Amino acid sequence: MSDAEGMRGPALVRDDELTHHLRAIVAPPADPGYWDALERRIMARIERGQDEGRWWVLSPRAYQIGLVAAGLTLILAGSVYLRSRAVDARMAYESVIETPGVDTPVFARRGPLDERRATLRAATGH
Amino acid sequence: MTDRPADERDLVLAAQRGRQEAFSELVRRHQRRAYVVARSIVVNHEDAEDAVQEAFLHAYKAIDRFLPDQAFGAWLHRIVANAALDVTRRRKVRDADELPETVSSPFRDPAEAGELRQRLREALETLPARQRSVIVLHDVEGFKHAEIGKLLDIPEGTARSDLHYARAQLRRVLGDVRSGL
Repeated sequence: MSDAEGMRGPALVRDDELTHHLRAIVAPPADPGYWDALERRIMARIERGQDEGRWWVLSPRAYQIGLVAAGLTLILAGSVYLRSRAVDARMAYESVIETPGVDTPVFARRGPLDERRATLRAATGH
Repeated sequence: MTDRPADERDLVLAAQRGRQEAFSELVRRHQRRAYVVARSIVVNHEDAEDAVQEAFLHAYKAIDRFLPDQAFGAWLHRIVANAALDVTRRRKVRDADELPETVSSPFRDPAEAGELRQRLREALETLPARQRSVIVLHDVEGFKHAEIGKLLDIPEGTARSDLHYARAQLRRVLGDVRSGL
């Protein structure tokens, strides 16, 4: 024991056999390979933790996926733009050639008169 | 307890400048003691290992706030103790949701060899967490009462009385087993 205070009084008398068994129970692994592996795992976790903190750091795979997605989006946006331009042009053309002339009769359909207005019309003659 | 070789301060300063190999060297030097501190608080190998990893990760993130003239080991051990207590709390929540049979331990503890050690091991696990920590830190690792007090955030006198009760309890188990053998 490193401190003499631990030996003072019957309550704090060290039991060598107990200490011996305790050492065996909580003994850290003795294999040096275990500690090398633990150190590697700790440093790997630290590196992972750093990358998680830096959101702007992307893996090469994420870059590839991002580039493909951006390319597809560009192609899609281009085709939508071209289609909408074609539709606009066709509608403009159709609006010019299909505009009704001044002599073309325009019919407007009227709904049936309601009972009150019909009575009023019959009474006044208009 | 000397945990600060002459060049440890340089390693800390280098780690603070972001040199990972310096921090890696600190891990290499302190991981075994960190494991023992964690193992004194948690009840099995896996949890101790988890606590050590968590603690070093936390220490790395907080190294800028560490004053290089202080003892790195003492600072780290406080972090390890807190990480181990966190692991213990999480373990309690997990165990409440699981059947005891689902908790397995692939690491074979050398103490499982004899009945006496098995009984002692069980008795150690049933000790109040603080008493267990105190007896392991004091008797197995040679920490002084004052160091244990700082580490576990308890008065030195409490560490002393915890040691007394823990030893008495384990000695009783030892006596029972001896008389039964």
